[in-house]
Formats: sequence, C-alpha cells, structure tokens
Amino acid sequence: MSELTATHFLTLSAALFIIGMLGVLIRRNVLVIFMCIELMFNAVNVSFIGFAWEQHSLVGQTFALFIIAVAAAEAVVGLGIIMALSRRLDTVDIDQVHELRE
Amino acid sequence: MPVELVRPEWGLIVPELILLGTIALVLAGDLALPRRQHGVLTWVALAGLALSLLSNLTIDWAAGRSTFNGMFQADYFSLFINLVVGVAGILSVMIASAYVPGGDEPGDMPLPEYLALLLLSILGTMLVGAAGDLLMIFLGIEMGSIAVYALTGFARRRVTALEGALKYFLLGAFATAILIYGMAWTYGATGTTALADIAVRLRPVVTGSGGVEPSLLLALLLLAVGLGFKIAAVPFHMWTPDAYQGAPTPVSAYMSVVPKVAGFAAMARVLVEALGPLSDSWLTLIAVLALVTMVYGNVVAIAQRDVKRMLGYSSIGHTGYILVGLAAFSGLSPDDRSVGSMLFYLLSYAFMNIGAFGVVTWLQTRGLGVTLDDFRGLATRSPLAAIAMTIFMLSLMGMPPLVGFYAKYYVILAAVQADLIWLAVAVVLMSAVSAFFYLRVVAVMYFNEPSGEWKVQPTPLLGTGLALMALGTLMLGLLSGPVLDLAQKWVQAFGVA
Repeated sequence: MSELTATHFLTLSAALFIIGMLGVLIRRNVLVIFMCIELMFNAVNVSFIGFAWEQHSLVGQTFALFIIAVAAAEAVVGLGIIMALSRRLDTVDIDQVHELRE
Repeated sequence: MPVELVRPEWGLIVPELILLGTIALVLAGDLALPRRQHGVLTWVALAGLALSLLSNLTIDWAAGRSTFNGMFQADYFSLFINLVVGVAGILSVMIASAYVPGGDEPGDMPLPEYLALLLLSILGTMLVGAAGDLLMIFLGIEMGSIAVYALTGFARRRVTALEGALKYFLLGAFATAILIYGMAWTYGATGTTALADIAVRLRPVVTGSGGVEPSLLLALLLLAVGLGFKIAAVPFHMWTPDAYQGAPTPVSAYMSVVPKVAGFAAMARVLVEALGPLSDSWLTLIAVLALVTMVYGNVVAIAQRDVKRMLGYSSIGHTGYILVGLAAFSGLSPDDRSVGSMLFYLLSYAFMNIGAFGVVTWLQTRGLGVTLDDFRGLATRSPLAAIAMTIFMLSLMGMPPLVGFYAKYYVILAAVQADLIWLAVAVVLMSAVSAFFYLRVVAVMYFNEPSGEWKVQPTPLLGTGLALMALGTLMLGLLSGPVLDLAQKWVQAFGVA
C-alpha cells in the first residue's frame, strides 16, 4: 500500500477544478453553473489543504477557512440575483437570458 | 508552538476604520430615520468619505510600516489607492444622490442600502491597495466585488439590470475561483502567502540555472487570468458591456472605476511586488493582453448606439492603455515609470469616466434615455451639461490639455522607456480610432435638433459633482507634476519590503 502524498491531494483538486470548469462552460442551467463554481472553490480548498499538509504549516488551512466564508457570502448574493431573475423571466436557462444585445 | 499575539497598530488603518464607522452609521440611520429623511444619509456618506480621505494625513507613509503580521501595509502605494478610491467614492455618491431615490427605475431603490454597499466596496478596494498577503488581496477583491454584484442588480424589478448582475456575478465568481487556484499554487511553490516573502523566495529560483518550475508558471498564468477578468481585459471581458448597460447608471459609473482600481492594485501587488523576480515570464503576456484589449475595446465601441454600452467598450479600451503602464515594468528603480503611470491613469480615469456616466445620469433624471439620440441638441437645452460632456469626451479621447492626454502621455513615456515602441504606437493609433465614437457624441449634442420630452428637474448635488469632475479633468492635467511624483513613490513602497 502506498503512502499518502501531496500528489494525491493535488490530483484530486485538479480533477475537481477541471470538472467544475467544464461544467461552467458546458451546462446551461444557471443553478448548475453556480454549483460548478462552488465545486471549483472547493477544489481550491483541497489543494490549499494538501499544500499545507505537505509543508506542515497552518497558512493554507487558514486560507481555506476564509475561502469557505467568502463562498458562503457569494452564494447569498448570487442566489438572490438568480431568484430575482427567475421570478421575472420564469426560467433558469442562461440561453433564455438575452435582453442585453447591441 | 505558543501563539504570539502582536498588538496591531490601529493608527495605520484609520482611513479604513472611519469608513467602517460610516457604514455602520448609514445602516443605523436606515433603521432609525423615517423614510423621507433618508436623503440626509448621502451627506453622512460624503462626510465619512471626506474624513477618511483627510485622515490619510495622519499616517507616516514614508516609513512603509506594516501591521497585523504583515497582512496590512501602509506605504505610498496604498496611500495613492486610498486617494483614488476616496475621490471616486465621493464622486459616485454625488451622482447617485438624485438618481437612486428619483424613481426612474421600476420599483424603488432604498438609498441607505445603496450607500452602505457602495462604501463596503470602497473599503474592500482600499484593503486590496494595502494588502501585504495573498489572503488580503483575495478578501479585499471579494469584498469589493460581492457588493458590486448586488449593486448591479439593484434595480431589482428591471430584467436588464438583473441580467447584467447575473452575468457579472457568474463570470466574477468564476474568475475568483481561477484567481485563488493561482494563489494556492503560488503558496505550494513558495511555501508562503506573504507578498514580500514570495519575492524573497523567488529570487534564488530565478537566478539559479534550473529555470522556472512549471508549477510557478501555472500559478502565474492562473493569477493573470483571474485578475484579467476583474479588470475586463480581452479575452476575459465578456461580462463588461452587459453589466455596464444593465446596471443603474450611477453603478455603471462606479464599477467602471473602483473595481478596476482593485484589479489593477492587485495586479501591481501580486505581479510586481510578489512575482517581480519572474517578470521575464509575465511581461510579454501583459503586453500582448494590453494590445488585444485596447484594439478590441476601441474598435467594437464604434458600432454602439447605446451610450452606456459604448462607454463599456471604451472602458475596455482604457484597460488596455492602463495595462501598457504595467507592461513597461523593468525593475524597482526610481526611473521606472511603469506603476506610477498606471496609478496616475487610474486617478484621471476616475474623473473623466465617472463624469461621462454622470452626464448620462443627469439626462436620465430628466426623463431621457441612454442612446445617442437622447443626446440630440443637448447644447441648446443645457449648454453647461453639453460643455461638461464635451470635456469628458475630449479627455477620454486624449486631447491636450485635459487630464486624459497627460495620462496617456505618461503611459506612452513609460512604454518608450521600456523599449516597447510598438505598444506606444498602438496607444496613439487607438486614440485616433476612439476619436470617432467620442466625437460623435459631441457632434450629436451640438449639431442636431433636440427631440423627445424634457422635464426640468433640480439636481444640485449631481450638478455640483459634474462641475467638480469637469474642473478636475481640466486642472489635474496641468497640475500633474506633483500628483505624478506622489504616484512615482510606488518604487519606495515596493522596495522597502
């Protein structure tokens, strides 16, 4: 059985980050896009904690805590915007949101 | 390991504390005052911003002290950012004073909340300017952006405002994720998040023979892309025109300046102060971004009929010019004009761009729209407003002796000093292209007959704001010497650490 190394953390984090990124680019449902962005945030948390674990320092873990807090704040504002818009337009499909064009 | 508690030096963060107090006061006023007296809070906000600006005098910036374990730095760079956002904040509050309670938007916009969000975003930007750690840069940028997402959708009954807010929010959050991933890799590669320590640990890496590690280059790329979104550099600009067009006009004015200042301050802190030793790896990237951004912004702006959207594209163009300043970085020496020219550009941009959006706001409070047709014959209706708009347009174009000319001149000077002749030529060419769409507004105001309904409406504070900005645009260029000297002290700020 091989030991746990920083590479494991980083591979997991990179995989999550790329899945999230692809989701943002491909999916059309606003809520799913937002969930994918949250996934990217948490992928970053994993890599911060992986690096902190490798370096035996607390800095990365502290950073991860702050990221969690900021992601929560962002979710409040973002979901508020999505709620208000879906009430007006009756849809959460990003392709249906196209009032603004030159 | 025992935890050492260091007493923070509260004296260094007085401007931020005053602003925080003002926010608390505005929110308390929202609760305590009856609705019709909310107008008084505009004055509270203005007084708080002015006090916060004045309190900069109490700090000894030359010492370049840092506090909160190096998280917060009080140096000349943070002083200049404080000045820019303080001035931009006062002007934004002035032009919002008539519009927000004016009832031109469907549904009402509560003034106290508007002011509180605006001040929070200003506070966040000041923190970015003073950041001494990647964590502070992240928190400051987020504090600034999240408040602006909410402000963009502040006209919550209007679909276009919400659409602008949604796009701004989704792409902004996406960019943040990329930015912090870059921070994670920087931390992984250097073992620290303090900006000064990153620079110290990178120096031997660069001078060594092994070349730069791929992980560091990945970090650099992610950071540049994340911040590129925040400053609306092409190809990360997709949200900009929609957000500017959709947002209530005073918000467009605000977000064309202050969040951009936050992005550029973060770029200077991260790229120059922390990743300065890697400059060979990022200078070309920034120079190419600058070129693409200014060409795209100015060329697409030509096709716009909606003045807010046109100003949105024009602000992309200006991002390109400001990036030229950053691309001219050659090293921490007193002759290096790169970051100094960038800072001066940001200050002058605050005057002329908030001014241009201010005139649009002025028209809207009089019942007109935001397209070119609404500017028809403005000169016969209100000569003063037409003169102000002419000054702002000519300044954005870069006409001497207005401040826009000096801003571009210093950027070009920096580029020439750094042997980036091609970029300097591009700035001049693009200014010529931009003359087309800026002068079109002027022509429409002076040579067309007025059309549409017009209601007479007194807006003293908005008028005063416009007059101040016109005056600033006229005078700041002529007095640019001392201001530029102050901006130039960034070398000292980044060098001390």
